[in-house]
Amino acid sequence: MEIPYIVTPRKDTGLFNSKIAIWLFLASEVMLFGGFFSAYVFLRLGADFPWPERTLPVLPGLINTFVLIGSSVTVVFAWASLKMGKWRHFQIYMGITIACAALFMVLKAIEYNVKFHHQAVRLTDYTVVEGHLGYEKENGEYVLNHHGSEVEENQIRIESGGLTFSTVRYHKPWVEEILSQAAHRNAEIKLAADVTARTSEGGNQDTLIAKAGEPLSLELLATIQKAHLKARAHNGALRTASLREEWKKTKAENPGKRGWQLASDVNIDVKALEEAGKLLTEISTVSFTVTPPVRLDFRPRDVREGETQSRLRDDTVIDGKLLPSPMGFHYVDAIDFRHLAMKAVNKGLDPIAAVENSWLIQNHTFAREAWEWNKAQVAKLEADLLKDHGVNEETGKPNREPTAKERYRIDWKDFVAMSDGVNRGEGKIALKEEFMGPDYKGREAKETFPMHFDLPREQVRFASKFTPAWNTYYALYFTITGLHGLHVIGGALVLAYYLFFGRKMFNSNPEWLANRVEVGGLFWHFVDLVWIFVFPIFYLM
Amino acid sequence: MSAHATHHDEHHHAPGFIRKYVFSTDHKMIGIQYGITAMLFLAFGFYLMMVMRWSIAFPHQPLPEWMSWCFSDGWKARWLQDGKVTGETYNMFGAMHGTIMVFLGIVPLGFGAFGNYVTPLQIGAPDMAFPRLNMASYWVYLAGGLVMCASFFMESGAAKSGWTNYSPLAGFADGQIVNQWLAGQTQWLIGLVLLITSSLLGSVNFITTIINLRARGLTWMRMPFLVWAMLVTAFLLLLAFPPLEAAGIMQLMDRVAHSSFFMPSGLFTKTEGLADLSGGGSPLLFQHLFWFLGHPEVYVLLLPAFACVAEIIPVNTRKPLWGYKSMVYSVLLLGFLSFIVWAHHMYMTGMGAAVSTFFQTTTVLISIPSVVIITAMLISLWGGSIRFTPPMLWACAFIPMFGIGGLTGLPLAFNLADLHLHDTYYVIGHFHYVVAPGILFGLFGGVLHWYPKITGRYMSSWLNHLHFWPSLICMNIIFFPMLLQGMAGFHRRWYNGGDAYLDKATAATGDGGNVFANTVAQHIDMNILMSMGAWTLALAQIPFIINLFISWKTGRKVESDNPWNATTLEWATPTPPGHGNFTFEPAVYRGPYEYSRPDSEQDFIPQWEKPRQSSPAETKPSVH
Repeated sequence: MEIPYIVTPRKDTGLFNSKIAIWLFLASEVMLFGGFFSAYVFLRLGADFPWPERTLPVLPGLINTFVLIGSSVTVVFAWASLKMGKWRHFQIYMGITIACAALFMVLKAIEYNVKFHHQAVRLTDYTVVEGHLGYEKENGEYVLNHHGSEVEENQIRIESGGLTFSTVRYHKPWVEEILSQAAHRNAEIKLAADVTARTSEGGNQDTLIAKAGEPLSLELLATIQKAHLKARAHNGALRTASLREEWKKTKAENPGKRGWQLASDVNIDVKALEEAGKLLTEISTVSFTVTPPVRLDFRPRDVREGETQSRLRDDTVIDGKLLPSPMGFHYVDAIDFRHLAMKAVNKGLDPIAAVENSWLIQNHTFAREAWEWNKAQVAKLEADLLKDHGVNEETGKPNREPTAKERYRIDWKDFVAMSDGVNRGEGKIALKEEFMGPDYKGREAKETFPMHFDLPREQVRFASKFTPAWNTYYALYFTITGLHGLHVIGGALVLAYYLFFGRKMFNSNPEWLANRVEVGGLFWHFVDLVWIFVFPIFYLM
Repeated sequence: MSAHATHHDEHHHAPGFIRKYVFSTDHKMIGIQYGITAMLFLAFGFYLMMVMRWSIAFPHQPLPEWMSWCFSDGWKARWLQDGKVTGETYNMFGAMHGTIMVFLGIVPLGFGAFGNYVTPLQIGAPDMAFPRLNMASYWVYLAGGLVMCASFFMESGAAKSGWTNYSPLAGFADGQIVNQWLAGQTQWLIGLVLLITSSLLGSVNFITTIINLRARGLTWMRMPFLVWAMLVTAFLLLLAFPPLEAAGIMQLMDRVAHSSFFMPSGLFTKTEGLADLSGGGSPLLFQHLFWFLGHPEVYVLLLPAFACVAEIIPVNTRKPLWGYKSMVYSVLLLGFLSFIVWAHHMYMTGMGAAVSTFFQTTTVLISIPSVVIITAMLISLWGGSIRFTPPMLWACAFIPMFGIGGLTGLPLAFNLADLHLHDTYYVIGHFHYVVAPGILFGLFGGVLHWYPKITGRYMSSWLNHLHFWPSLICMNIIFFPMLLQGMAGFHRRWYNGGDAYLDKATAATGDGGNVFANTVAQHIDMNILMSMGAWTLALAQIPFIINLFISWKTGRKVESDNPWNATTLEWATPTPPGHGNFTFEPAVYRGPYEYSRPDSEQDFIPQWEKPRQSSPAETKPSVH
């Protein structure tokens, strides 16, 4: 059997099979990215927070744009070389195409990585603070978690005296983490009381499953879990059978009545079951004591903290006092009042007064100084704009005014300008900083950035790294560029396959290989085209 | 044939068992694999519904043993309370019932099975354009289905936010699970992305095959209606599914990366308190993206059933399909319009009067091509010498049943009426009339119609009667009361069938202060009738299952390769068709439905039969 039109086009349609397929596939891709771009428009128009405009470094994105356009040209050259039967040229051009793809992905990876380490916090009054978190130290050494990595100064700290685990839901890695922290702080976690249960039907004596004082371990929890699940299944079956029996009886006694009329009279005779010794003991929770009570740290997302009792997401209850758990910034590199100003305007308040009454400015000198510098810069900018663009004659208002970003955001480049003693936008920025963010160590001597800054937990409304969680802009940015990156990788793999494994087909059926490269090249152009949309909407607009 | 035919002939040898029956690239085997898998999923989805119907009819009574024996005691202890179905479990079963029936049952049966088996045969192609892609499409579908269903056995259970999976409900569901990759709600999304990938591979393959692999002489207007329907279906899948994939990926990000695509600011829940999220997202966006697929999906379900019925009717009336051309143009228009009606599912969201009016208008417009097609089928019966063969029974029932389903949709299209009917059992009754006695009946007809080609044997007519009549009756017993309950205001998501709203003191006497409780009391007993209908319907499927397997070995053998005396190309193949399908190079000389031509002695002229004299009238497609 032979599928026709793989190599030669069909006469009436003028197309070979894979060419139809790739255009259809691209149509589908247009709809996929169309879905995402619609989401961009929808979320941006409906945003209830200041949309981060021009927030990404333009230079890496711009370089990537040209890299991709270049690769789209070379992939056409590679195809043309095949058509002319020049294998060597094909190798060179296809090699360049794939190298471009690799360069694109390297730049992308750098861009991503910088963001994954960059912290942002929305305070309760909607001030936004950006920067980097420090790492916790005890006795001059970094605190490590049970994976051996350093613990950031963003933990909920609880003076824990007791722990109660849900026997069904406890999360193993968290138990390990708790054990490792307790060991580190020289505390022991022991079973608070004997765990006894009836484990088989009819037995009058309860079996001892675990003795009080036994240390917490995953094995112990697993043993108790097993007993609990067995009892739960056993009791469930018994209760079901009993309820069935009750219904049968009640229905026989009340002919003609409907189910909902009888429902309240039908009950399981639990007492009888218990007296017959049929029900086994379900152990849904198990409690441990921590001696002596020590500080245990939890990631904020995992815990619902309370003054005396907190609860982890796996239903572990921690008894103990909540300790001060500030977020420790080690370098703040931006302060942003746009969201706060927006909220103030929505309430009909004066945004400048709201900023100046904010918790950050009221409590921290560095913020106050930066704000004063910024105010002077805005005043200067206003004067310059008035001079250059004049006043609208009808309304009497200036034609151009500073943007919200210029008015309310002080970012790391402004801190640089401030410490250089020059105007906004004139600070000396190294090329490396354009890619990797500010060089804190190099600028330490000039005290460009506020050093250590403890943010009390009660001031934190929402905190996140610059990840999809931070806001819908970053969610869209990571999802769309991530998906685009996967397309780049996928396309490059296919093209690399033609490059490294195409020789045999080139010798036996060069037209077929040319068709394949043509189809791959069409896909590659599409990947380029997507980036042509992605670049302006995320980097420039 | 191209120049490198020799190159391929080297590999032409009989495939082993695994290559032939498991990892087959033959479109016919893949079609059969799709068909069997889809029917298994349909049975599973049906079972979930049987459990739900118990909860609706007898909310206070434990699930009877004949329904619950398949669960372990451990599973029952987790998900049932003293044997009774809990609200959570009901939600889980409901969400998965919808998902399984739509994505894992009917689409793969209609498009995957019939599309794969019949389309290449009807266009005279040796196989699909990309056989290996076709195989991949099946296996990705199976993986997606298994991923979704595996979550029934996880701590979290399966997805429980409805088959529509609306955020923020779906965003919070299973939020207590620490490892989000092992939560049913996440598994649902992963399964969905796999299913979309599968249908992307399938639809690209179908369209390419139909465009490029048609036999010599098979011009567009000589294509059987089934091929047209499959072409449009493939385009719907190709273009409507990706936005849902985008939504699925975004919802996945919301779950595992804690983004807020669909989570608005300031969300507060009882379990989580103030959500630890940035907010700023839009739940409405999810609904738009979901229904952008969701509505074309309805036609993805429907068109293969139309296709089967349109093939069955001319064969069994011995008469050309009435208005073939109008049907073709209608199906194209239907495909186009189905992309611009989606927001009629969202009248209640407050998206604005102007938007509602637009979608109300397009929704009313789309009923025109549907009615053209169904009317053409109806008129095709007129004056024909109808043979009530087993497939024809189903086709005849399809028309009125689908008619009820379609007409009950009209009140829902008008947003004024929809305000009252939205999310009531009326909606459930409406679309189940379309899907169950409509689409499924059409597909049952298709199974019986092509079974002789697939196996070389007929299915038993007696067992078919035993299947058909109880099914027809039970379907109406189940779904007609739903329309009445819905108009009375019964909400579609009550897990106890309205029991919670009864005012026990007054409902028995029929007069009391609570008007709604009285309404519920008047209609609640229908629940028992409907549930009985549903369980009887399950019994009625047993003859079909027996018929399907027994006839494979013991059915009456076909007398020829063309047992129904049909005209389309699939009947020109040997029975069953071998690898590569045709023993001669097929060529087409006329339109697809040349029955009872007065100038011919035979009452049918197959498409592939060479004209005896080259009279110009015969070489042109005939239009009726």
